[in-house]
Amino acid sequence: MDGFGIEFVILTFIASVKMGTPLLFATMGGVINERAGVINLGIEGLMLVGALTAFVVKLNYDSTLLAIIAAAIASAMVSLIHALVCITMRANQIASGLALGFFATGLSGLFGNSYVGKSIISMGIVKIPILSSIPIFGRALFQQDLLVYFSFFCVAVIWYVLFYTRTGLNLRSTGEAPEVSDSLGLSVTKYRYAAVWVGGLLIGIGGAYFPLVLTSFWVDNLTAGRGWIAVALVIFAFWHPGKALLGAYLFGAALALQLRLQLIGVKVSPYFLEMFPYILTIVVLTLATVRYNIKGVSQMPAALGVSFVRGEKH
Amino acid sequence: MLYITFEKRLRTSFYTRTGYNLLSIFIALVIGGILLAVVNTNPFQAYGDIVNEVFLTSYGWEDLLIKISPLLLTGVAVALAANMRIWNIGAEGQLYIGALAATGVALNYGNSASSAVLIPVMIVLAMVAGALWAFIPAVLKAYYNVNEIITTLLMNYIAISLVDFFIFGPWRDPKGLNFPITEEFAMAAELPTFGESPVHIGVLFGMVLIVIIYFVLKKTNIGVQITITGDNPDAGLYSGINIKRLIIIILMVSGAIAGLAGMVEVTGFQHRLRQNISLGYGFTGVIIAWLARNHPIGILFYTFFMATVFVGGELMQINYGLPKAMIDLFQGMILFCVLGLEIFGEYKLKIKRV
Repeated sequence: MDGFGIEFVILTFIASVKMGTPLLFATMGGVINERAGVINLGIEGLMLVGALTAFVVKLNYDSTLLAIIAAAIASAMVSLIHALVCITMRANQIASGLALGFFATGLSGLFGNSYVGKSIISMGIVKIPILSSIPIFGRALFQQDLLVYFSFFCVAVIWYVLFYTRTGLNLRSTGEAPEVSDSLGLSVTKYRYAAVWVGGLLIGIGGAYFPLVLTSFWVDNLTAGRGWIAVALVIFAFWHPGKALLGAYLFGAALALQLRLQLIGVKVSPYFLEMFPYILTIVVLTLATVRYNIKGVSQMPAALGVSFVRGEKH
Repeated sequence: MLYITFEKRLRTSFYTRTGYNLLSIFIALVIGGILLAVVNTNPFQAYGDIVNEVFLTSYGWEDLLIKISPLLLTGVAVALAANMRIWNIGAEGQLYIGALAATGVALNYGNSASSAVLIPVMIVLAMVAGALWAFIPAVLKAYYNVNEIITTLLMNYIAISLVDFFIFGPWRDPKGLNFPITEEFAMAAELPTFGESPVHIGVLFGMVLIVIIYFVLKKTNIGVQITITGDNPDAGLYSGINIKRLIIIILMVSGAIAGLAGMVEVTGFQHRLRQNISLGYGFTGVIIAWLARNHPIGILFYTFFMATVFVGGELMQINYGLPKAMIDLFQGMILFCVLGLEIFGEYKLKIKRV
């Protein structure tokens, strides 16, 4: 089987990064949401809103930058409904997230109906000098489209802001102990709204990656369940942007291998490869929980899923 | 200075809650109407069509009953677990696994056994399969406290891939023009229908189960244990209830009922296994259970309502060329509106003077 050369490895790496990038954006969005204490099960729907918006803007105005910005804002705006319902109206976050998923998926399907069958030109590759000539990883990481580089930038910024700035500390405290944040004079509501909005921006960009890079067309349910993988990846990554990057590429590799193994004729059922990321997530989630049970230390934001009402005990 | 505060109600009465739910549904319909107008469809005409062509025709009622059959079961499945504050988001996957088990029986023994043997065997195997699918999240929840929302959710995707494996692989109908479908089931492996209509007896399964579960919850020891633990897990623990065992039982029974929904859908309506046998019925079950607050009469009512959303959505596809996504859109809006207004049921608005 001569398909298994170094070239196969490199091409798989490249594909893993490509498949992993939308997951990475969406996972980072989820990390920001959940660090502030808000679970978002509507990621899949928001990605679809982002994907459709990016496609329509690119088709009509032929500007990739505009498409990405519009996708981010559209997704962030729709995510505000979730914020309104579960932060202001104090509804259950799980139920609200499911509602968001249904609503946003439906919205994208309704308005995307007339765009099925059209296509756009996908984003080109921009080689980064020197770095792209690093053996193996150079081509996978530094010979990609600009959104891949932007995702690196986002990982770094989110990492820095979350763990090394006052804003990040405040945000995390609204997810860990909102009553403490409140007693220090921080507005839990404002931080949580902001987190949902910024998370929505990133999730929208993750969605935009589909038409702009991966497919160049729009169909119903274009993101095909990747948003749900992102929900799982947030946990897989222990709510950390750095681990989100590793997780996203690992899952990207699982997705990429499905296609690549078939391409070179390896007899592994694609349907079992499809299951792999989900099984892996269940295993990791179990191990993480067991570790928590033994050590009593959890990276999970303590007030995740709990709506905050001033002066009310939970 | 005047300001508005929310004061928590001690109890929310059934009427208050039902009132707000109905108001929410009305608001969702209004917003939906506006969206219909945006995509150049006259909302009055569209809603009128649903009344005329669904509620006022016999085939409309047949469609409703066909949709009610699986929805009632997934609604009951989710609500049962929710009684113990367990979220079974995996009803969708359990439904697929139940359908897979029933299909296995139908394809292998459909021509060699009678209906009287096949149907009970399919029911039992589908329920066992659904229960086993729920067993994994159940054990993880009971013994390691692994979040069941995520595990049941992820199991859905594994289930759907497993079904894909069979219908793209060993079970694919050689005469199916390469479509990923199994061959049509033998007559003996199809659920009996009511006379000439396509409505099958599967619609009764959910109704019978609602009665049984209501009885078990109210009148039996285990039902009391479930209610106590659901109301207050600590009280359950201190009164010596074996919570681990209870979690496993309740999630497995929930999975079994969702599995039965899959059996009902393939043997009663589809008559073969294919992709997308469920249009998200498992997830709709979550909405139904939420709206009904797990109450049996509520489950019946909201299942009927959600079935109308599905049949109405399909009608709009035919009459106005609107996409299937309308169904998701309406489900999302209804749940959003209900959740958004819930605060008025849980809290009282108070205007205070300082």
